[in-house]
Amino acid sequence: MTKTHILPLILLFLASLLGGCDADIDAFSPDPGEADFTTFVSLGNSLTAGFMDGELYREGQHNSLANLLAGQFMHTGLEDFNQPLMHDDIGFGNRLILAEADGQPLPVPMPGTPDPENFENKYNDAGPFHNLGVPGARIQHLLFEGYATLNPYYQRFAADIPTSSIMGDALALNPSFFSLWIGNNDILSYALDSGEGEHILPPEDFRVAFQALVGQLTQQGASGVTANIPNITQIPFFATVPYNALLLTDPDVVALLNNAYAEAPHISFELGPNPLVVYDSDHMAGIRQLEKGELVLLSALNGISNEGWGSQEPLSGEYYLNAKQIEHVTNHVEAYNDIISETASNFNLAMTDVNQLLKDAEPGIYFDAIAFNTEFISGGVFSLDGIHLSARGYAIVANAFIEAINSQYQASVPKVAIGNYPGIQFP
Amino acid sequence: MRKMFLMVSWLVATSTMLQAGGYEVSLHGQRQVGMGLIGTSLTLDASAAFNNPGALAMMPGQLSVVGGINGVFASTAFQMEAPSVYQAKTDNPLSTPFHFYAAGMLTDRLAAGIAVNTPYGNSLEWEDAWAGRFLIQNISLMAITVQPTLSYRVTDMLSVGAGFVYAHGAVDMERALPIEGPDGEARLHIDGSTGNYGFNAGIQFAHPAGFQAGLSYRSQIDMEVEGGDALFSNIPSSLATAFPANNKVDVSLPLPANLDFGLSYQATPDLLVGMALHYVFWGAYDELVFDFEENTASLPDSYNKRDYSNTLIIRAGGEYRVTPEIYLRAGGYFDPTPVNSEYFSPETPSLDNLAFTGGVSFLPIPELSIDASLLYIIGLEEDMRYTPENFGGSYSTRIFIPGIGISYQL
Repeated sequence: MTKTHILPLILLFLASLLGGCDADIDAFSPDPGEADFTTFVSLGNSLTAGFMDGELYREGQHNSLANLLAGQFMHTGLEDFNQPLMHDDIGFGNRLILAEADGQPLPVPMPGTPDPENFENKYNDAGPFHNLGVPGARIQHLLFEGYATLNPYYQRFAADIPTSSIMGDALALNPSFFSLWIGNNDILSYALDSGEGEHILPPEDFRVAFQALVGQLTQQGASGVTANIPNITQIPFFATVPYNALLLTDPDVVALLNNAYAEAPHISFELGPNPLVVYDSDHMAGIRQLEKGELVLLSALNGISNEGWGSQEPLSGEYYLNAKQIEHVTNHVEAYNDIISETASNFNLAMTDVNQLLKDAEPGIYFDAIAFNTEFISGGVFSLDGIHLSARGYAIVANAFIEAINSQYQASVPKVAIGNYPGIQFP
Repeated sequence: MRKMFLMVSWLVATSTMLQAGGYEVSLHGQRQVGMGLIGTSLTLDASAAFNNPGALAMMPGQLSVVGGINGVFASTAFQMEAPSVYQAKTDNPLSTPFHFYAAGMLTDRLAAGIAVNTPYGNSLEWEDAWAGRFLIQNISLMAITVQPTLSYRVTDMLSVGAGFVYAHGAVDMERALPIEGPDGEARLHIDGSTGNYGFNAGIQFAHPAGFQAGLSYRSQIDMEVEGGDALFSNIPSSLATAFPANNKVDVSLPLPANLDFGLSYQATPDLLVGMALHYVFWGAYDELVFDFEENTASLPDSYNKRDYSNTLIIRAGGEYRVTPEIYLRAGGYFDPTPVNSEYFSPETPSLDNLAFTGGVSFLPIPELSIDASLLYIIGLEEDMRYTPENFGGSYSTRIFIPGIGISYQL
């Protein structure tokens, strides 16, 4: 060590003695880089709005993706961020909580009557709003004038119910920065309906809509962040109940079931896990057993556990996705994600790879010394509805958004500390 | 003896520290502390029993008793890894490591002594609900050693010595679990104590021209807590079976071996200068394992990689006799961290330490010395992470340790 090094250390020593013995540490300096965060609007669906546990409610909204991002943008120039908050934590009344049943935590509806105030339009009292995430919104809904008349979640805060569009409300705020995460519901509404009746928006229509959205948002020079969408196979709602969920441990029950299906020799049961029996109009017998790779919806779990679904009574078509349907969904997710990446690149937007993030999280991943995975309830990433994220899940995704923004705009937006957000509440 | 142990156990109750690298505590005498923690080659008094048993038979006089206590004011600051504005600090209680030595010459050449001190310990409390609470919220770790020692002067220039070491260790730690229920966040509290044996041996060389050299070795002692308490609190009732209420845990922590080499020189009758190399075999601390008696799917045994490396600490200092009644001392040392920066756990925020020391003694009568010391440690800020659980940031520490003691010799 040379003299030039020793001198400052001696000075540091003397200064420290004068300043007491409290350790100090260099603070991080946030920086907006090439982005301008002065006015931030967040467009999207339930994932942007803060929907979790089957409902949009006040505490969930505090931990919404949009609000978490805004909180961090406050360090880099954001002045104000206003959310259309629910009056309470009941929302429209569909919220799930965990209750103890046979010593196990199980999601059940939360008791309580929705307050009419939760349904009232808040724009004149508390608007305008920067979090424009609307649960249920599909990509084309964002440009749809009058969408508030069809969607009560938008009706709550639209600037003008008969004429407003989500995009119109966003542009009225003259945003300098935006987030746009959309497309999940275009996939989900098909998958949740098990492909019955619905069709998925063709990729070419998705491209037109996505480019129109980005084009309008960037027209006045705003920059922004977008994100791709996860596949349904990554979501607990579709990934929790295995195709062979029928666990038989009693030889008498095995014999009984084999006997009951004697007319259908392609269906058989044995001790251990068995594929569920389902209705399938494409099969010549009208019923069959599921095959490996086919997905059973979480909404069938109670029927399978308690009502004999998939064994005494074949599972109806709306509760599972066959291989063809899964391929159909997967192809669309890939096509949408290609369009999102390509458009983001063309418009110099940050792009968050949420699809990859959830792939990484599936086998288990640590953030800030907390273990997460994508399992239903115990995994910590998803909320009790098995589709939407938990508060910590939104925090993890918010950090991925921030990484993408920092990288695209040479910015230094600080990340959130994951452990500061509430975990799943167990009874 | 009984009385001494009572005193010791009272001190233990309040004794907590984090002073040298890892969880080593090197406060083994006020005079040594004043001179940058050198001690291996010094034949000052009964403290040689610990610092170098080989030097004990060369102590001046026939009888020596030394006792002292230090107050450790330690503070650690944390800045989460970029990009983040999150910061946290420790709120540590005052800790008070102590030392007591007594020795006498049984014959012209044979000395016997005893050393009681606290060579290892660690105590910190992070602020409530800090971001690293799932790794550690607070910890109190301490080892107290009792060492009866014999030393024999082979010639006027050479003496040897060895001591038997009994170490008592206790650990008490708490961390949060990422599980939330009606009572808030769940916690795991671990509490246990144990004892084990080792040895301390050394050799001392003294040249009539005023040169002294010492070499000593303290063996590794493994502190193996068996059946310590593992108490889970705030566990939601729906998860109660996953976390057995009154579980037990085995946990083991090495007190690493030390190899010390010291050189000192009485330059003038008033001036003593010296240096020491303190080599710590931290490589023994590879993993911290919590082996729970009752495992469940949610509660497997916990393996936490540490991967420490051996370290060499370089120390230098000196003592100046101003008058026969007053001595002044100064010193310093550099203590590189034994911690692997990829496996840095905030339970032991040990950084590269740069330390400055000072000391003063006052002798109202020639037999009695009142000794004071001051040690100031700067833990140099550095980026560290616990990669297995993806928790990183930069840490910085400041430690301020005043100490007071007395020594009496005939």
